[in-house]
Amino acid sequence: MKKLNSILFFLFLLVAFNVKAQDPAVNEKLTEVNDKVNGLLERLATDEADLSKLTKIKISGYMQAQYQNFESKAVQPNSYFSLRRVRVKFTYEATDGVKFVLTPDFSPGNFALKDAYVVLNDRWSKSFSLWAGKFNRPNYEVEYSSSQREMPERSKVIGTLYPGERAIGAKLEFNPVNVPIHMQLAVLNGAEGITVNSNAGVNLNSNENKDYDNYKDVMARITYNLSLGSFGGLDFGAHGYFGSLKSNALTTLSSDYTTVSSIKVGDPLKRNWLGGEFQLFADVLGGLSIKGEYLAGKNASVGYAPFSLAGVAKPGVANFQNKFAGYYLYLIKNLGKKNQFAFRYDYYDPNTNIKGKDISITKFTPADLTTLSAKTSGKSDLATTTLGFAFHHYFDDNLRITLAYEIVQNEKVGTVGKVVDSYTNPDGTSGTMDYSSKVNQNVLTLRIQAKF
Amino acid sequence: MKSFKLLKVSIIAVLLGVITFAFTAAPERITVKGSDTMVILAQKWAEVYMKTNSGANIQVTGGGSGVGISALINGATDIANASRKMKSTEKDKLKQRYNSLGVEVACAKDGITIYVNAASKVKELSIKQLGQIFRGEITNWKELGGADENIKLYGRENSSGTYVFFQENVVKGDYASSCQTLPGTAAVVNAVKKDLYGIGYGGAAYAEGISICKVKKDDNSPAFVPTAETIKTGEYPITRYLYMYLRNRPTGETKKYIDWILSAEGQKLVVEVGYFPVK
Repeated sequence: MKKLNSILFFLFLLVAFNVKAQDPAVNEKLTEVNDKVNGLLERLATDEADLSKLTKIKISGYMQAQYQNFESKAVQPNSYFSLRRVRVKFTYEATDGVKFVLTPDFSPGNFALKDAYVVLNDRWSKSFSLWAGKFNRPNYEVEYSSSQREMPERSKVIGTLYPGERAIGAKLEFNPVNVPIHMQLAVLNGAEGITVNSNAGVNLNSNENKDYDNYKDVMARITYNLSLGSFGGLDFGAHGYFGSLKSNALTTLSSDYTTVSSIKVGDPLKRNWLGGEFQLFADVLGGLSIKGEYLAGKNASVGYAPFSLAGVAKPGVANFQNKFAGYYLYLIKNLGKKNQFAFRYDYYDPNTNIKGKDISITKFTPADLTTLSAKTSGKSDLATTTLGFAFHHYFDDNLRITLAYEIVQNEKVGTVGKVVDSYTNPDGTSGTMDYSSKVNQNVLTLRIQAKF
Repeated sequence: MKSFKLLKVSIIAVLLGVITFAFTAAPERITVKGSDTMVILAQKWAEVYMKTNSGANIQVTGGGSGVGISALINGATDIANASRKMKSTEKDKLKQRYNSLGVEVACAKDGITIYVNAASKVKELSIKQLGQIFRGEITNWKELGGADENIKLYGRENSSGTYVFFQENVVKGDYASSCQTLPGTAAVVNAVKKDLYGIGYGGAAYAEGISICKVKKDDNSPAFVPTAETIKTGEYPITRYLYMYLRNRPTGETKKYIDWILSAEGQKLVVEVGYFPVK
């Protein structure tokens, strides 16, 4: 036992001596490892901070390449490939509740800044948001991205009233957290995409970053999402546009081509309209929706005053205030996860005061041709109906192929007022299209869309 | 012109062919993705269902409620598990892509559980105190009757439904920047297990090896732990439904599976895993 104790004591001394002998080396190594770990942690913290800045930037976009065949003889060339959209959207969420958005479009020969706005969300009630910059006008079809839209182009009434879709201004949105109501109120320059010619033929509204006049336009929209239980849901609402364009001509004509004497140069030409909308979503053997919108009111285009060139008086072009009406109706059916079929009936009458049979007849032709340059009723007063069919196949979430065919029907003119359009064939010969019968303007589109 | 007519006829023929193909029934494999809180429950359901239904093929993955809902929208999953309700922006995306509002199925109940270290002296907290803790306004356990030590916060990533639910119902503001985000409830539990001064939150089914902190509605209310009884009576103040979301009303094998989940047999598994039945 004594022997065993001696051995154990010896071993203890040996271990203690060894440990003590290794202490400085181990400590040194530990310190070195500790420093290395601290260094790595510091680098990790820096990298994390850098990375968290990057996560605030979101990049998305889409590209649409298409082949189109136009049946209209007036379109030359009548079939071609084109890039309809090449857009990249940059979203930067600076802090919680503050967002910057930039969307350049890189379409060949047509570089443009489409969106450029800042959104400030209220952090308290989380219901209000303030937008400032260039953004989509508050309207269902305008705000519905063409990367999702079921027909190749927006309906004619929307395309006419909101050219280019965007406007510069400020917008207040109210989306209460627990009530499915949405309100938008926007103040906009409002003249975006409108051509206002001077008497020298120069567009006075070509500066996209400035208003054409001092009149600001107001847009308001309200929608409500009604749940229909397991059947689906109904979204419905209304919007109004209340705006003006500065008169640039001595004379203003109304829809029936009578002179509005009260409007002088510089006075406001009213552009006021109201619209009602609905979107019904139903779960019938997969998703099905019916969407529609009706708009009616008074729009305006700006003319120019008469002028004299080398002693010869040239008549001007009158301002024109047209009463219009238009609507569209979509029927969309999803076929499984990958396919979708869409049908749209689209109607736009730019002048509800005049029927096709009235075009060019004396009653609707202003008499004073010394001051007005041939501003008579004509093709621009004819209503258009478009029946569109589209089939979409989604290869995956990023890739969609679309085949669409649109049948365009014009309102026919009467026998008295003949309206013809002349065109030139590829071989140089010319011909005319007579609007007393249907003029073929149908379009076939085959489009492939890549989205990320 | 003749060749163009031929083109049109060909296009219509192709269209009809694709439509017919679209309606042809494909062999059913059900994919389930989403909430990490629900992963263990969803895996249990799938495992037991596949045992009793030999032809069934169910694939379950996690990733978080937000990830599951995104997968539902982009067509990558049939069922999205979510421990929060679908946001209106997510519903809008579903509308745009599938012309559907989606189908919501409440399949279980959960009491968001507050995990503290087993050695912690703090045994109960009010909703108000929890909010102050996770907003970073209370930073020392001493202020809550515990040791004079800094509170270490553990939480989930922002793609998690639990993160969103806890923020909306308890934190009611921004999480403190010191809150360490972890990928999954199990990771939160593990962190709290090892950290004497840690506190975290998550699904009731994960609460193992830690101490469950009682929660009271306000300073004057009694404190409760999440149990079947306190959740049913509404006494436990942080309760929520767990959901499954689908693009459309389920049919075929998916409908059979969901009906089974909501049946007594499926709901029994909810209790076995550690959650609470919907009825």
